[in-house]
Amino acid sequence: MNHEKEMIRTKDLTKKFGEKTAVDHLDLTIHEGELFSLLGVNGAGKTTTIRMLSCLSRPTSGEALVGGFSCLDQAEKVKEIIGISPQDTAVAERLTVQENLAFMAALYTQDKAVCRERTERMIRLFHLEEVAGSQARTLSGGWKRKLSIAMAMIGEPQVLFLDEPTLGLDVLARRELWNLIGKLKEKRTIILTTHYMEEAEQLSDRIAIMHRGRIRACGTLSEIETLAGVSGLENAFVEIAGKEELL
Amino acid sequence: MNRTFALASRTRKELLRDPLSYIFCLAFPLVMLAIMTIVDRSIPKEAGMTVFHLSQLAPGIAVFGQTFLMLFTSLTVSKDRSGYFLVRLYATPAGSRDFILGYLLPMMEISLMQCGIIYLASWIVSLILGTPLSAGGLLLSLLMLQPSAVLFICIGLLFGTLFSEKSAPGLCSIIISLGSFLGCIWFDADSLGGIMLKICKALPFYYCTKLGRSALQLNFGTSAFWLPLLIVAGCAVVLALLSVIVFRSRMRTDLA
Repeated sequence: MNHEKEMIRTKDLTKKFGEKTAVDHLDLTIHEGELFSLLGVNGAGKTTTIRMLSCLSRPTSGEALVGGFSCLDQAEKVKEIIGISPQDTAVAERLTVQENLAFMAALYTQDKAVCRERTERMIRLFHLEEVAGSQARTLSGGWKRKLSIAMAMIGEPQVLFLDEPTLGLDVLARRELWNLIGKLKEKRTIILTTHYMEEAEQLSDRIAIMHRGRIRACGTLSEIETLAGVSGLENAFVEIAGKEELL
Repeated sequence: MNRTFALASRTRKELLRDPLSYIFCLAFPLVMLAIMTIVDRSIPKEAGMTVFHLSQLAPGIAVFGQTFLMLFTSLTVSKDRSGYFLVRLYATPAGSRDFILGYLLPMMEISLMQCGIIYLASWIVSLILGTPLSAGGLLLSLLMLQPSAVLFICIGLLFGTLFSEKSAPGLCSIIISLGSFLGCIWFDADSLGGIMLKICKALPFYYCTKLGRSALQLNFGTSAFWLPLLIVAGCAVVLALLSVIVFRSRMRTDLA
């Protein structure tokens, strides 16, 4: 993986909803093969940033490039190289796990053999064998999360967006997903939003702390700790985002 | 087209695996067919009421069944929109045409199956009662009821796109009640005449039922067959265009 190749670049990326500025002049560069975490309190602008980068929301101003393609003018090209696992698991409830995967695969490729091969590969990669024939509505939260991420992966995306992938999961299910995400990051760029500091610490190559639509700190864990003058991501986060909240 | 078929296959599977679809789209119309046939047998011949004769009743029940397809279309679309499912799909290379056909095509298939089963049941009942329905008439009526299927499915698509998961089914039940009443499924507006007939004629539902009945009786008169066909097909085209425009516009708003 070429960690120097830019996979995502934003310049002055801004999103306003009426008077409210959700994302404020965001300048961001994420390299190929990086796992980049966006941290922030509710309403910090994390999900809006992901929505703009995945062409689900048009920026009010500024620009965003994903894999060299513009999210504004080349949305079709961008959509071919990204995968997204939204906050909500978003699966077809009455389709089996296998059918959900095959359905998503068919949205990316016309080749039935490729669809089958990808479906089987995702089932193996995410250890979904024992629930492959079960309808999604019967699955537990942990299985649904795994299915949701597998569905995001089935188009073999170069860039994977994971919006709070472990939200609401128990400790064991969360740890299992961390292992999976750890494996995935070797092969592609991953942008992850999370509320869990430990998650960001464990998985990320770089971390950005967002607050009120702006990036307040960005770098490796040690760089952020140095910037905040405290040790541990949670302390650094409180120091950076919390102080502003009090101002 | 592969994406369209993938989306259509998903809609079809989800509907066919929902027991409520069978209860509303098949069991309920068939129960009404049985009840109304019994009612018809109980009405004295001197009363001259023909609305529950099988040749009149079967197409009416078929249209009644189609109104529930509208309900399930609106439920499917509004449910997809209420969660993140459609958001996930918006981030794939699938376009608005794929989404619209992905809802419309399986509903049309289900409509054909539904109407086929209702007509088969009606034909069996007609044989038992010794008043066999014309097989050719049933087949023609089955085909002639497809424009009204498009009409109802497009109303469902429209409601599902515009309203929430809670509001859309409520609005659909109003159309179901209006459609079955003003569609003259349960009474003969033509023999009533007056303002009631004028109201019925002002809405497309009356023509849906009339077209199905005329086709079954192989009555190709202008006012019995061709005019209703023109009106129903026209309304179906208008509603299809409207639902496409509204869905695309809502998709643009969602992605704004």
